[in-house]
Amino acid sequence: MNRATLTLLALLLLCALSLVAAQQRARKLFIAQERAQIEERRLNQDWLRLEYEQRNLSKSARIRDVARNQLRMSPISPERTLYLKEAK
Amino acid sequence: MRPVGFSTSPNLVLRLPMWRSRLMLFLLFFVFMMLLLRAFWIQGPGNAFYEAKGVRGTQRELELPASRGKILDRNGQVIATSLEAKSVIAYNDTVPDDLAADKVQKLASLLQISESELRKKLKEDRKQIFLKRQVEPAVAQQIKQLEIPGIGLNNEYRRFYPEGEAMAHVVGFTNVEDRGQEGMELSREKELAGHPGQRRVVVDRLGRVVEDVAILQLPQNGKDLNLSIDSKIQFLAYNAVKDAVEKHHAKAGGAVVLDTQTGEILALANYPSYNPNDRKYLSGEQLRNRVMTDTFEPGSTMKPFTIAIALEKGVVKPDTNMVIGAKYLVGPKPITDTHPYGNLTIAQIIQKSSNIGTAKIAMNNLSSEEMWDFYTAVGFGQAPKIGFPGAVGGTVHPFKKWMPTDQARIAFGYGISGSLFQVARAYTVFARDGELVPLTIERSPEAKQGTRVLSAKTAIEMRSMLESVTEPGGTAVKAQAEGYRVGGKTGTAHKLVGKGYGNSYRAYFAGLAPISAPRIVVAVMIDEPTGGSHYGGDVAAPVFSTIVGETLRTLNVVPDNKVKEMVLQDKSPEEIRTANVQTQQVVLKR
Repeated sequence: MNRATLTLLALLLLCALSLVAAQQRARKLFIAQERAQIEERRLNQDWLRLEYEQRNLSKSARIRDVARNQLRMSPISPERTLYLKEAK
Repeated sequence: MRPVGFSTSPNLVLRLPMWRSRLMLFLLFFVFMMLLLRAFWIQGPGNAFYEAKGVRGTQRELELPASRGKILDRNGQVIATSLEAKSVIAYNDTVPDDLAADKVQKLASLLQISESELRKKLKEDRKQIFLKRQVEPAVAQQIKQLEIPGIGLNNEYRRFYPEGEAMAHVVGFTNVEDRGQEGMELSREKELAGHPGQRRVVVDRLGRVVEDVAILQLPQNGKDLNLSIDSKIQFLAYNAVKDAVEKHHAKAGGAVVLDTQTGEILALANYPSYNPNDRKYLSGEQLRNRVMTDTFEPGSTMKPFTIAIALEKGVVKPDTNMVIGAKYLVGPKPITDTHPYGNLTIAQIIQKSSNIGTAKIAMNNLSSEEMWDFYTAVGFGQAPKIGFPGAVGGTVHPFKKWMPTDQARIAFGYGISGSLFQVARAYTVFARDGELVPLTIERSPEAKQGTRVLSAKTAIEMRSMLESVTEPGGTAVKAQAEGYRVGGKTGTAHKLVGKGYGNSYRAYFAGLAPISAPRIVVAVMIDEPTGGSHYGGDVAAPVFSTIVGETLRTLNVVPDNKVKEMVLQDKSPEEIRTANVQTQQVVLKR
């Protein structure tokens, strides 16, 4: 065996090992990506849920009830409203 | 016995025939050839089959979920949204027969069904059965933790409607498969529906995904739908209608609020209503969107249109005097008014809602063709094309078939039919100086071009007549809204029962506000008010008043009627707050 063959053999081994390593990395990254996607979906769902909850808490019916019964507010009427008008 | 030498055994002398060894050789050769051929087949042309087998062992096709679009109101508030839920499935072959009693009990309580019902379902002779659909994720998680073999969970969506009853007829609802069944959910199904995708992946021995092979189909989420409805206005309109229906012991009611500038539908309320979040109530009468699908004789709300034709023709003026009298005979049955009038001006005919006056104008000054043309031009007889399922157009009989008695009665709204929605749309003509605006249920806040059907002069004249209806001496003083000048027309129509008129009524009010620069058109209908008055001016006008006042305030429309005013000069918010509000006139320094 001469030098050239040895060098090529070494190179081949190196390539083979790096291929294995690269594949391993690709799988790991893939799994990470997969997890991230699941997480994204979950967060998306959470966001939708929270948006819905927020809407539920801010819907007109609830605001009216809270304003009337808890805060003892009454609806506005022009009778008790002072309209501000800019002077010319 | 003759001795035989070992090396000279006669058996060894026997020579085997050559063909036997040849045959053997050939057979061996043949078998090897077969093996070679088989190997060649497997590697070459027959490979696909094995590849497919191999793929099946390691690859799976997974669904990529897609969600249904949200429905939002004009301010971006959610009025329908899909959240993830689970369906609980039992694979009855796998579920053990001797399932521990406590597990059955726990499962039954999580599914909110009785234990016996659950056991019955598990014993059913089916491979798989839905135990419950649209289970909340938190409950599904608990079911999973029970670790009962043969009980599986599937992903699905559940639709939620935060506005509930108030918005039910606008949005509609979906079925358990997340497909639209009513309202916008049905008519915009195509845009709202999501289309799940598919991808192929490589899985390892434990079924974990280790590699993507291909995306077979990209998932497509449904598009969000932006409605023109304003949740606040919708809510207040719904409550105003509901209160009136309950107060007058009526059968039903409806109201519609239109933006005259943009042609947007701001509210469309119906009562009785239903809660779209609860599947129990998704059938029956309360599903009817009366505003769109019920036609009725518009009665007196039709009068302004008849008189507008005469004004437009120039044959009468608002101050033209007319002899009315107690009766007007056209056909077999005389036309009468609720109160007999001697003389009235054209404006007073509207203000007092005189049947005789309107019929006389139609009979003396208008041809049936002119009337038909105008009623059709303002939208009667054609279903409004705004994408509501079941929207109807009502009927306007061809004018050639009108008898004189028909013409006289159609003039004040009998013998013609339309939906409340059509009446509201027709009133945009008076609100917009003679233009009919195209209406939309989707958000589009830019001002629209209308189709001219009336001159601006006639529309403005009619507006001031409509305002007089709500002023002292008119039929609908109760329609007045504080702070705003309003105008409109009452309507009280005998309901058709079979072929004749029964003893029940419909009360309407259709109008616009503020008169100085109309921003909204509101039409209200109360069906069969009982106990007390059944007149539009008493039953529907107060609803109009409530809706107009609150809607205009919600829309920040400057009042055009008398209000307490405070004139400010060079003001800062802080100074305004500390200003003496009693004086109503404050001069502040910068």
